[in-house]
Amino acid sequence: MGQPTLVNTVVSEPIVKVQGFSKSYRKKLAVDGVDLAINKGEIYGLIGPDGAGKSTLMKAIAGVLTYDGGQVEVFGEIIDSEAAAEKIKGRIGFMPQGLGQNLYAELSVEENIDFFAQLREVSREQLISRKRKLLAMTRLDKFTNRPMKLLSGGMKQKLGLVCTLIHEPELIILDEPTTGVDPVSRRDFWAILTALLREQNIAALVSTAYMDEATRFQQLSLMYDGKVIAEGEPDQIIAKVPGTLVELIARPQAVALSQLKSIFQQVEAVGAVLRVFVEGQEEEAAIKQVKSLLSGQEVSEIHASQAEMEDAFIALLSQANLTDSETAPSIDTNQASEIDASQKDKLAIEAENLCRDFGDFRAVDQVSFQVRYGEIFGLLGANGAGKSTVFKMLTGILQPTGGEGKVAGQDMLRANQAIKERIGYMSQAFSLYQDMTVLENIRLYARIYAVARKELKQRVDWVIATAGLQGVENRLAGALPMGIRQRLALGCALVHQPKVLFLDEPTSGVDPVGRRRFWDILIQMARVEQVAILVTTHYMSEAEHCDHLALMYAGRIIADATPEQMKEALVKAAGELLEVTTDQPLLALKLIEQAGFEEAALFGKKIHLLAKEPQLVRQQIESIFTENNITLHSISHRHPSLEDVFVYQVMTHENEMARHEY
Amino acid sequence: MNINRVKALAFKEWREILRDRLFFSLAFVVPISMMFVFGYGIKMDVENIPFAILDQDRSAMSRDYLHLFIDSRYFDYQGDVEHEKEIDNLIADSKIRFAIIVPPKFQETLLSGRPIAVQSLIDGTFPFRTSTSKGYVAAINNAFNTQLLTAYVTQRMGITPEQATALVSPIKIEIRYLYNQEIKSIWSIAPAMMMFILLMTPPFLTALGVVREKENGSIYNIYSSTVTRGEFLVGKLFPYVVISSINVVILWLMAIFVFSAPFKGDPLFFFIASVIYVTCTTGIGLLVSLFAKTQISAMMITVVVTIVPAVLYSGLLVPIASMDEASQFEAHLFPAMYYTDIALGSFLKGVGMEQLWTRVAALLLYTVILWVASYNLFHKRVKA
Repeated sequence: MGQPTLVNTVVSEPIVKVQGFSKSYRKKLAVDGVDLAINKGEIYGLIGPDGAGKSTLMKAIAGVLTYDGGQVEVFGEIIDSEAAAEKIKGRIGFMPQGLGQNLYAELSVEENIDFFAQLREVSREQLISRKRKLLAMTRLDKFTNRPMKLLSGGMKQKLGLVCTLIHEPELIILDEPTTGVDPVSRRDFWAILTALLREQNIAALVSTAYMDEATRFQQLSLMYDGKVIAEGEPDQIIAKVPGTLVELIARPQAVALSQLKSIFQQVEAVGAVLRVFVEGQEEEAAIKQVKSLLSGQEVSEIHASQAEMEDAFIALLSQANLTDSETAPSIDTNQASEIDASQKDKLAIEAENLCRDFGDFRAVDQVSFQVRYGEIFGLLGANGAGKSTVFKMLTGILQPTGGEGKVAGQDMLRANQAIKERIGYMSQAFSLYQDMTVLENIRLYARIYAVARKELKQRVDWVIATAGLQGVENRLAGALPMGIRQRLALGCALVHQPKVLFLDEPTSGVDPVGRRRFWDILIQMARVEQVAILVTTHYMSEAEHCDHLALMYAGRIIADATPEQMKEALVKAAGELLEVTTDQPLLALKLIEQAGFEEAALFGKKIHLLAKEPQLVRQQIESIFTENNITLHSISHRHPSLEDVFVYQVMTHENEMARHEY
Repeated sequence: MNINRVKALAFKEWREILRDRLFFSLAFVVPISMMFVFGYGIKMDVENIPFAILDQDRSAMSRDYLHLFIDSRYFDYQGDVEHEKEIDNLIADSKIRFAIIVPPKFQETLLSGRPIAVQSLIDGTFPFRTSTSKGYVAAINNAFNTQLLTAYVTQRMGITPEQATALVSPIKIEIRYLYNQEIKSIWSIAPAMMMFILLMTPPFLTALGVVREKENGSIYNIYSSTVTRGEFLVGKLFPYVVISSINVVILWLMAIFVFSAPFKGDPLFFFIASVIYVTCTTGIGLLVSLFAKTQISAMMITVVVTIVPAVLYSGLLVPIASMDEASQFEAHLFPAMYYTDIALGSFLKGVGMEQLWTRVAALLLYTVILWVASYNLFHKRVKA
């Protein structure tokens, strides 16, 4: 808090003080003994998977939910009654969870904003000026007359933010504002928050389920199962778990993976790369340890780096004994050799110039790509980019308007039924029967896919072993935690030994531990069983796991390469990603923007920007900082993320399309 | 109460209802179609009952007897049959509702001065229709008996048929039906339908409108803002009361012009009483919406709390006076009964405030209780 050198800073009381907060629904404890404090001018993050208790805490702070124990104090007012809560509501803006759920579908963008303004008694003049400004910031100004229900997910969420901000609250509480939002809108979203922080010195409480957003916050609490397991600045939290992240490429990957797993708790395959978190070791020692373990394998490109939030989160969970101890799915490496090598490199899915029109609207425009057996292929894009339509055409649910699709060697148009028997499909909503047990669900799917009677038992056992469902066979599917339910859905899709697997947004809302287990199974399917896997997703962290990616935008594929190639292409086209650490990030960001780096963005207390000539930019920033008396702590290189790639690609295309229009 | 916020809420709600196809049809299309369906569907008058004849005598007298049935406007002659078996089939197929079997030697027996039994088979599926049919058959049979007797007396005593009639049936009942001279059931059904429709549709619309906001989360805009509870309830529900009041007028015009029901009362009084009634039923929907979490459950609860009183305790099917004491007590607990009195009184009896003020007062009281209860149950800081 307030450093003596900053003369102007008055050491003020936190805006929000929460002490010993607890809340139960019926008899289930949702939040248990949480403390936190939020200061002015701070973006405070609540990070945790679904069901961690984030929403409960936020609603109680917003004064719209009662609580059972502890104390919540907002703007010095103790929120313990409806009357007390009413006193602070004029100074708070609250946006509940769900894409555009708090908006009115039938009203236009402008009507929605006007309604919120009237509700909050914003004067006419203020409304006009604020509306103009916020609409421009969110780039919604072209759509003021469009009914809210016709907006894309990202636009809805931005409109929700505008509506929440229209009365200029001093504290804004945003419940999972970026869930299900495309990366470009996400960037916009953070840019708006940063601007508000700078101009109005507000405070924001923001929750997210994405670990990779942790760096956006100045302060954060990691939540799990109703408890805060760590609190502080992002770097401080990561530093709580000393250790090193080792990344390497090893062949054969599946064997290396299982060997590493026997020693290290956190090992995962991300595309071709293996990520190992070596707890308590310095960089060199960590690399040495990993190398010695993989002595029999061909190891390349091994390097060490600082751990990320997700690694820290999982390590903290297991330290606190919060991870469930059920058996992880085992990887049977012996099978690897039995696979017919000729299968490899054969095409499992071929899309050729696929087109699909809905009336005048071309949802899918000349989409071509190829997926090999044993490959995990990601179809990446925002909501409405056309991913699902491609999916439906390839699985034979929808007739293409033009082009061809071949799946498992069969033409989509002719051999409909034959294909359906060779593919597995897992939908976004996990099409399980909630009132049936795990075993009943698996058996049902086995019968639907006509698994032979004598093979039935063996297949069901295989699914239970592979999906790690031992011990829950007789529980109702609806009563299972999200992560296990999702593995069950995957198991059901695999029961008939498909050679091609379609996954539609498979890991939304699952905690990192559950997500890693899920991907373990997928890796096994791809590497060992040589299954071709096509995944649609708009989660960048999920995309990182794929061997190959196709990026969709407005019905077309605008990039088709491996994640690494995409990142390299980004560096080539837009420059290196630099991270600037300074003591006055807000002022620094403003100056850097003024110097011509309009895409510079604030990540917590650090600034990210792309620089084509890093050396020159370094000098430029150094001189700007000296002129303005800003202390520069460091400028370092960062590996661009897929989100950076996505944002850059989409923005470039948007600009190009705009140029064609005018 | 901040009038601007109330206006903002009401205006937003109004636009949503008009633009959302589902809500628009619930608001206007459903009440009008209900009026058509029930107005034409529920006819209590029993006329044109299809029947068949088995004449095993085929004499002049049997033909005379049967012609009394054939010529009646209450019956619809479907033809002669040859065997009793055919009658079973016809009734089973609902082609006819009853049949008359005249036995052999009908004329011979009667002329010889002995009594004879004519068999009538009546479909007992619908008790109400059955008893009506039975009454008609017995009446026609009586008429024939009287005819025979009159003829006999005329012949025997050598007097004119008029004199004989006076002698045979000296007492005549003269009936005058009040308020509904032609005893057309639609006259009473149209006003009763208004009661029924205006009891059901406003709560449906209101409950769905409020629960929808709860279900998708936009209610949090209200919870987290400075709008007071009263402002929210008034602003949110005002459009629903207005829509229902428009429906009052539409249904009223339909009752008069489509179903030709007479309206003898004071239109202004009836309109005001009806607005109070829909404000009251909107309150039912509001109360339901505070308990329901999903739109589906809101619909289910609304159906139960509105249809049961509307059908059983309103006087629509069973007059309140002929209920047992417990049921009468229950009937007084629901608003339907009071409005049935107001509607029938205004349409058929032409009575107004003077005679019906107690009913209006009961509805007002009901409205106040519902709204006050809802106000106290609605919280901006919720438990879950």
